[in-house]
Amino acid sequence: MKISRTAAGLLAIALLATGCGSGGDDDNGGSSKTGNGATLHMSLSEDVKTLLPMDSNVADNIAVDDVVYDGLVRYDPKTTKPHNYVAQSITTKDNVHWTIKIKPGLKFQNGEPVDAAAFARAWNYAAYGPNAMENNYFFERIKGYDAMQGETDDDGNYIKKPTVKQLSGLKAVNATTLDVTLTGPFAGFSTMLGYTGFFPIAKACLADIKTCAVKPIGNGPFQVTEWNQGESMTLKRWSGYTLNEVPDYSEIDYVEVPGGDDWADFQAGDIDASTPPPEQWEAANNDPDLSTRKVEAPTAALTYIGFPAYLGKPFNDINFRKAISMAIDRQKVIDAILPGQATPADSWVSPTVPGGTKGTCGDACTFNVAEAKKLLAKAGGWPKGKTLYIHLGQDDVQEQYFKAIGDQLKLNLGIPYKLDPDPDFFDNRDARSFHGDGIIRSNWFPDYPLNENYLTPIYGSDDPKHGDDSYGYYDQKFMDDIHKADTAPDLDTAISGYQQAEKVLASDFPTAPLSYSESVVFYSDRLSNVVLDPFSGAVKLRLVSVSN
Amino acid sequence: MGRYVVRRVLQGILTLFLAVLLLHLLTTLAIQVNGNPARAFFGDHLPSAAQLAAVEKRYGLDDPCFDQTGNPCVKPFVHRLGDYFRGDFGTDLHDRSVTDIVSTAAPNTLRLFLVVTVTWFVVGMLLGSVAARYRGKVTDGGIRGLSILIDALPVFVIMLVWKYIVTVPVYTHLRDSLGSESFWAILFKPSFDRTHPWATVIMPGVLLGLAGSASFIRLVRAAQLENYGADHVRTARAKGLAERHVIIHHIVRNSAIPVVTAVGFVFTDALGGAVVTEGVMNIYGMGGTLWRAVQTNDVGVIMGVVTLLTVLTVTVMLLVDLLYAALDPRIRFD
Repeated sequence: MKISRTAAGLLAIALLATGCGSGGDDDNGGSSKTGNGATLHMSLSEDVKTLLPMDSNVADNIAVDDVVYDGLVRYDPKTTKPHNYVAQSITTKDNVHWTIKIKPGLKFQNGEPVDAAAFARAWNYAAYGPNAMENNYFFERIKGYDAMQGETDDDGNYIKKPTVKQLSGLKAVNATTLDVTLTGPFAGFSTMLGYTGFFPIAKACLADIKTCAVKPIGNGPFQVTEWNQGESMTLKRWSGYTLNEVPDYSEIDYVEVPGGDDWADFQAGDIDASTPPPEQWEAANNDPDLSTRKVEAPTAALTYIGFPAYLGKPFNDINFRKAISMAIDRQKVIDAILPGQATPADSWVSPTVPGGTKGTCGDACTFNVAEAKKLLAKAGGWPKGKTLYIHLGQDDVQEQYFKAIGDQLKLNLGIPYKLDPDPDFFDNRDARSFHGDGIIRSNWFPDYPLNENYLTPIYGSDDPKHGDDSYGYYDQKFMDDIHKADTAPDLDTAISGYQQAEKVLASDFPTAPLSYSESVVFYSDRLSNVVLDPFSGAVKLRLVSVSN
Repeated sequence: MGRYVVRRVLQGILTLFLAVLLLHLLTTLAIQVNGNPARAFFGDHLPSAAQLAAVEKRYGLDDPCFDQTGNPCVKPFVHRLGDYFRGDFGTDLHDRSVTDIVSTAAPNTLRLFLVVTVTWFVVGMLLGSVAARYRGKVTDGGIRGLSILIDALPVFVIMLVWKYIVTVPVYTHLRDSLGSESFWAILFKPSFDRTHPWATVIMPGVLLGLAGSASFIRLVRAAQLENYGADHVRTARAKGLAERHVIIHHIVRNSAIPVVTAVGFVFTDALGGAVVTEGVMNIYGMGGTLWRAVQTNDVGVIMGVVTLLTVLTVTVMLLVDLLYAALDPRIRFD
């Protein structure tokens, strides 16, 4: 299903983050260039069709690209904070004009230089609308983006291609200097730069994009040597790699398992890491041997309830919204439907990203039926005879999850509900035209690890009447806080500025946080140092050790 | 005979055209009614009109007819047919050529089908013949009971039990004692392995074949019983022919026609089972490819796969008809 797919992917930015793990121990004798000879066996579950960085936005191609390409920054495996990697320095005085210095002498796997032009090449290609790249929208903040999008008629049909093919705000000043001008100040710009969509590409790649999509010319520690699409993929260590974030093994063999049910292969020893399907969950956790080879980590997705405040009563009444929130026993619902895959949420920003903390929601996210009933009464009660719709996309697991939420509302507040899974869910949400009044299943997987990304894209708006697109929320104070943080002199100040904005959300309560995602992976006895990405939950390939 | 074949091939081409037309109409309607597959590209993000339009163009959905429910979208269809005639079967939504997809997926599925068909034949003929020979005896009852039992077990249950309960311990044991490259270990691998495409398809094929063999057993039994009482069999026996000779030459051969017909029909049904089998055993084949293409509304792939399947079906049917003449000299096509 699309929601979870895109979500899983986008967030997975963090995958990129491989941290500084085995950095520096490149000097283990003659094998350092090609590794210790061991092979890591993994699976890919999403039937990916491309490895082109500008077009890769699901967990699988993000994970592969993370070892095939190097970005300007990489992220800390624990905190997801960025540190310079291909970049020597990233500086700005006003958060609008950014100067990126690139380490000299770096090469692509075909010998071309990794220079400022290599980044400009990739970014311009992604930003050019008619190329329809998945990561196109990441370049919205760079000046000149709008001129590259083309025109549509009133029905949304494409009528004119744009004439501009380059971002006016992007200049490769010389081989090692890239100047970027944004459309407005944004303190978090440097945190975006480790995402797959910002990786560089070689000239030869641009010359034959189709080939490059399946046979990448990377600048990272591994090379794709073979990809039988739909079946398997082989990655081997690139002997020309000069930077230090490199694992000890020599090869990664992927087998493609659409849907991801590779548990039997894992048990049989053909795959090194896997997550059990729900029916095997208990058995895996109770296995005395297997349970010692398990890692669990919270990840960055946030599931919450959206209220269509644009509909007016009762959705625009904060007491009603809080009543709904407090009538849900989140832990009980999770235990029943998503054991091990989620934890109750009580804030609007996942605690795994910089600036995210638990507890900003306070009592309003705590299960309390008596208080919920009181608040509902205060809001005038639920209209007699009316049914509360729960709008969501078509996805088996989410339908079960939200049915359980509906059952809680019925049990604790006596509100009759109807689940409305609809293939047109996103269209309806964009157009604010659901069939039937009700609450909206919402899920957010951030694009880059910064608390701002949970706030501006969802709740930001310049139009007090219209409010944000999905729920119609608007608060001047919230926008002021965001703008102020955008112009902060450094990232830490910006982060605490965005935290102020989250406090405004807490007092306005436009949406009700439900759960943070969690990831669990079991691994074979050949692996050690298995670390999960705090963003995507995927195994960090640059950190894991594989024995022969 | 030559003219008969030509006529059948022409009929086959017409069938193919109708199948492709029907699919075009269905997928078009699905896009019109179900909303825009291009919107799914953006997930939780709200795309601008220009972004959405660019993706529609990439997906080949930029013709305005896809926005008008009920419009048969003739223009894109004619365009597609034109491409097909020029030998261009297009690409999937991500620029991978459909020819490449089909030529990777088809051999795996054909291997599976071959194993399935052989299994049907062997199991059906063997058990069906035995049941007919010992009609009314315990053996007959046992075989009929078995066929009902097989019918009662859905394919996916058989496959899941196989994969999760049987393969893991057996494969692990065989690998540890015989080595990971031994044939017997590979035979019991929990999933398909493209480096051993035959060995890892045998067991799933046999299981899928077994699951579909119940109707064959009963069919063979019924067809042979009819012949056991037939005049020519009585004559053969009266001439003093050995019972073995009577069974092989007069009963089995004469009862083969309905069985061959059924193989032709059921062959196409096997695709349904193939979707499940390929899914559970992770075989990159036509069933799974079609399944995923339908989910993502990937029209190019749906058309490509169905075209190939239609060709396959028409060919098998033709072969079945031609086999009639070989099996029964009384049948002539001219």
